Amino acid sequence: MNSDKFLDRAHDIQDTYGYIPEGEIDKMAKEFDVPRAKVYGSIRFYSMFYTEPTGKYIIRVCDSLSCHINDSKSIVDSIKNYLGIDDGETTENKKFTLEVVECLGHCGEGPVMMVNDEMYTHVSKNMALDIIKDCT
Amino acid sequence: MVKLEIDGQKIEVEEGTTILEASKKAHIKIPTLCYEENLSIFGGCRLCVVEIEGEDNLKPSCATMVQEGMVVQTHSPTVREVRKNLFELIIASHDIDCNLNCLTCSRSQNCDLREIAADIGVTEIRVPPLDKGYDVDESSFSIVREPNKCITCGRCIRKCEEIQGVGIFTTANRGPSTIVTTFEDKGIGNVECTNCGQCILACPTGALHEVYHYENVWDALHDKDKHVVVQTAPATRVAIAEPFGAEPGTVATGQMVAALRRLGFDKVFDTNFTADLTIMEEGTELIERINNEGTLPLFTSCSPGWIKFIEHQYPEYLDHVSSCKSPQQMFGAVAKSYYAEQHNIDKDDLVVVSIMPCTAKKFEAVRDEMKEDVDYSLTTRELSRMIKQAGIDIMNLEDEDYDQLLGVSSGAADIFGSSGGVMEAALRTAYEIITGTELDNIDFNNVRGLEGLKEGSVVINDMEIKVAVANGLGNARILLEKMKNGEEYHFIEFMACPGGCIGGGGQPLPASNEILEKRMEAIYDIDKNKKLRKSHENPMIKKIYEEYLGEPGGHKSHELLHTHYKERGI
Ligand code: SF4
Ligand code: SF4
Ligand code: FES
Repeated sequence: MNSDKFLDRAHDIQDTYGYIPEGEIDKMAKEFDVPRAKVYGSIRFYSMFYTEPTGKYIIRVCDSLSCHINDSKSIVDSIKNYLGIDDGETTENKKFTLEVVECLGHCGEGPVMMVNDEMYTHVSKNMALDIIKDCT
Repeated sequence: MVKLEIDGQKIEVEEGTTILEASKKAHIKIPTLCYEENLSIFGGCRLCVVEIEGEDNLKPSCATMVQEGMVVQTHSPTVREVRKNLFELIIASHDIDCNLNCLTCSRSQNCDLREIAADIGVTEIRVPPLDKGYDVDESSFSIVREPNKCITCGRCIRKCEEIQGVGIFTTANRGPSTIVTTFEDKGIGNVECTNCGQCILACPTGALHEVYHYENVWDALHDKDKHVVVQTAPATRVAIAEPFGAEPGTVATGQMVAALRRLGFDKVFDTNFTADLTIMEEGTELIERINNEGTLPLFTSCSPGWIKFIEHQYPEYLDHVSSCKSPQQMFGAVAKSYYAEQHNIDKDDLVVVSIMPCTAKKFEAVRDEMKEDVDYSLTTRELSRMIKQAGIDIMNLEDEDYDQLLGVSSGAADIFGSSGGVMEAALRTAYEIITGTELDNIDFNNVRGLEGLKEGSVVINDMEIKVAVANGLGNARILLEKMKNGEEYHFIEFMACPGGCIGGGGQPLPASNEILEKRMEAIYDIDKNKKLRKSHENPMIKKIYEEYLGEPGGHKSHELLHTHYKERGI
């Protein structure tokens, strides 16, 4: 399996649908001539791909070592509480998906979170909830 | 050749040998977990690490080639320490606690982890077990997967993809949260799994096993109102002795019959009988297709793993598949019609049990097209459990004979248990029926053996019949692709499992190449030593056609002994 080509295809599909639907995995399996389980597994290997529809806003909170030390856990907990979803879940109105992730590349400014492509640093609990409330 | 030293032993091995293989030659056993002969090297578990002089890090012996002058230590203090630590971590992920009690595990008798623990000398477990809390996958009629026992060695993944060419399993996620799963987490029963059970043979733990039906059989045996008959597949007789400590290749036909009688079966019959019947029907079908320019090549239909494979993967070839039911199903159909009528047994009170080397037979038995025929299909492993549960000392029993009529068979039926056997049995009969003359030599050696793909040709009445044999579904795929590219044959035997039924997914563990070879030899020995070696000469086969079925391929036969298939898609 040519992995560059594979990743390009997966990105294209995700850009179109917001996730990678079952039928598209079937097509990729035929295109790359590998079992569909293998395509599915390769997609699941990367945390940036989704095999199910996500919310309009994807909230990523970093929980790597340096953010963890700055109490990223309390931020995760308050978001969970506020939205009523767990890590990896999407709210019923399909507005938010929460993901606890590894390093977002701003270790000196933790805790950090991202909403879609927007990065927020030195996040506090209140700030996190305000950011979410501002999403329309 | 490469000279090296392993644990002080000087040895010489061929270039390209791994340290693991070289150690085996020097009679040194290195523990392995993710390694399996026949599969690609994964190098993930690291249990097989060794120390190499001049190298800073320990190296996995399964993935490291020998080099001239190498000095290797396989059990040095450092190696043993590291191995022990690694093993403790693996064991923690296997969640050994009261939930996953070894006593109740499918692999309580032959767990690789327990063997390794003993070899390494594990004396304590410092890492607390991880309760992964996954659901058991019970979506399949044949295979159960218990993910909490999975140590993510990847052997099932590679077996299914590399040997079977199917690819049901995959890993998802990474690092410690890596899991083994199926396409879209659908479960084994909801994807294109063939039920062949080869993944069970690959798994070092109890994470994969067959769907058990032996408790239902116990219930039937204890039910006074039921008349319970059993049939035994050809390959079971050369493997049933293994779980009782006998050498692989031990033939225990008579002892198995005796044990089945002691278990309480009312009649002990032989699937071999309907193997002979299959030859009559399939042979007739072949002759008809050749004479009437029907669809050729004809594909055999005895192996239900193969059938499900073609239904999913190559539906465009389904009209090549013989319409004959498999011997298991033919037996059920004959028992519930002919036998029941002859003995005045109400069909509802008759229970047909089969002992099969196969997990796919469980699915076959519940196929809509023929779910009346067989009530319970047990693996050879399940039968060995029942014999143990009943305290029967099978290896010391006197041989007994199968019950009459449905228990009489030819050597041609015995070799059904081995790759190439159905082909050979069919050729013995087709040749003599077409030409009306006797074969000089009835051994067709070029279709025998463990090789995955075999070809040959026979001249029958000036016509050259081209035949091929494929075992292991990966090889089936290769052969079908060859056909797509224009290769022509008249008759092809397909068996889902490597080596044929002797290597079936329901056979006792372990199932190494060496063991398969011994079972295969044993099967051909049985045939060689039988007087009756051709299906059409079986007197009971003649009798059942005279008394009941009429002609091979006739109306009654079609009603009882033939079936159809369906496209399943992927
Ligand atoms: S039963 Fe056969 S086809 Fe199904 S997952 Fe196991 S190895 Fe693959
Ligand atoms: S199910 Fe068995 S063979 Fe497959 S990865 Fe898990 S432990 Fe290994
Ligand atoms: S057996 Fe060598 S790394 Fe697993």
